[in-house]
Amino acid sequence: MLLPARTAVLNYLYGVESADIAQIMGALKSEYGSERQFTKDRYMDHVMSLEANGLVSLQSYDLDEKGDLRMRYAINDDGKATVDKYVDKKYRK
Amino acid sequence: MGNQGMTSASADAKMAAINKKFRTTGMTTGALSGLTYGIYTVLVLVAGYYEPLASAAGLLAGPYVLSGLNDLFAGIWLTAYNAKSGRLREMGRSLNTFPGKMIVIGSILGGPIANGAYLVGLAMAGAYAIPISALCSLFGAIFAWIFLKQKITKRVMVGMLVCVAGAIIINWTKPEGSDNFTLGIIFSFVAAICWALEGVFSTYGGAMIDTDVAVNLRQLISGIVDLFVILPIVGGLGLLGGTLTAGIPVIWLAVAGLSAAVSFLCWYKSNSTVGCAIGMSLNVTYAFWGVFFCILFLGQAVTPTIVIGSIVIVLGAIVVTMNPLDLFRKGV
Repeated sequence: MLLPARTAVLNYLYGVESADIAQIMGALKSEYGSERQFTKDRYMDHVMSLEANGLVSLQSYDLDEKGDLRMRYAINDDGKATVDKYVDKKYRK
Repeated sequence: MGNQGMTSASADAKMAAINKKFRTTGMTTGALSGLTYGIYTVLVLVAGYYEPLASAAGLLAGPYVLSGLNDLFAGIWLTAYNAKSGRLREMGRSLNTFPGKMIVIGSILGGPIANGAYLVGLAMAGAYAIPISALCSLFGAIFAWIFLKQKITKRVMVGMLVCVAGAIIINWTKPEGSDNFTLGIIFSFVAAICWALEGVFSTYGGAMIDTDVAVNLRQLISGIVDLFVILPIVGGLGLLGGTLTAGIPVIWLAVAGLSAAVSFLCWYKSNSTVGCAIGMSLNVTYAFWGVFFCILFLGQAVTPTIVIGSIVIVLGAIVVTMNPLDLFRKGV
């Protein structure tokens, strides 16, 4: 069974140094892409809520080619500890 | 160089706008959760005025029929909402994780135990039960200190004492003609303690799970446990059958379930955006709304003790959970 989407976002960030929302969605597209919940707004909500809960940190932001805001997030120590504790190793890549 | 400067300036502006929107959402949902919980409280009381609930024998059967049907309806509304946004599969996925299982424990503490006790309290002590149950923020701070190792600051201490003072004011004069008043107040305390424990469990489990899904699980589990585990034990199945065939109270409960659904959706959302402290302090304004609506629609007598006590408890609860000045501070 797949991880819940928000957990999958945190789990993905565990394996990379940092990523923006488009990169996160790109990485999860093969598993979650066909679902109606796979929208940019919802994924932005996922990362911002993870940030509000102190599991990831906003690393930088700028504008992409289209002039849209691009936010880069990185997992922090609390986030890593949470993944170590609660996410089965088989989900790590 | 100039171009780059402009780009970063407009990126700053957009980032600030997004942060502001996120924070505004958290504040608005927190306030809405309080208002809708006040509405839910009144609607459940109204449903309880109809037969066969009004003359139900026994202490627990009536409140658990109300609580179980309400939570089940809330769960059904939320399932429809999550189905619409393509998140039904998230429920199974969440249950499959350890944080999801923590949410289940939180649901049982907050639903069948706390909500049941709240409704027994309301049945026995009327609107007096509402502000007492709002002491959950006080217990929340104590449990966070014990289990989550969060320190109790002087401000929290002051807020706690204010809450206790409010509870004493409310209890100062018993309303005439209610034999079980003090027992009702005790049940409201049980509700407050178990809601605080729910807060601890859902904070522990909730950070990694979509809050809309967590709330959905909470209400469904609570409704199912109430109706299929607790009701048979307290001998309330006959009353459940009678209520379902009576029709009108079921319609009131379906509407109550909708307001409970909106309330919990907003509360969990607020907790995960502006933090548990601010979310909880905005949520406890339900004590004010609940008493206000009871006075407005249900003919609850306006006594100085209930008015002053409710206001004191809500103020104390706000001081426990946050520095009130933060509400007016700009930015994040």
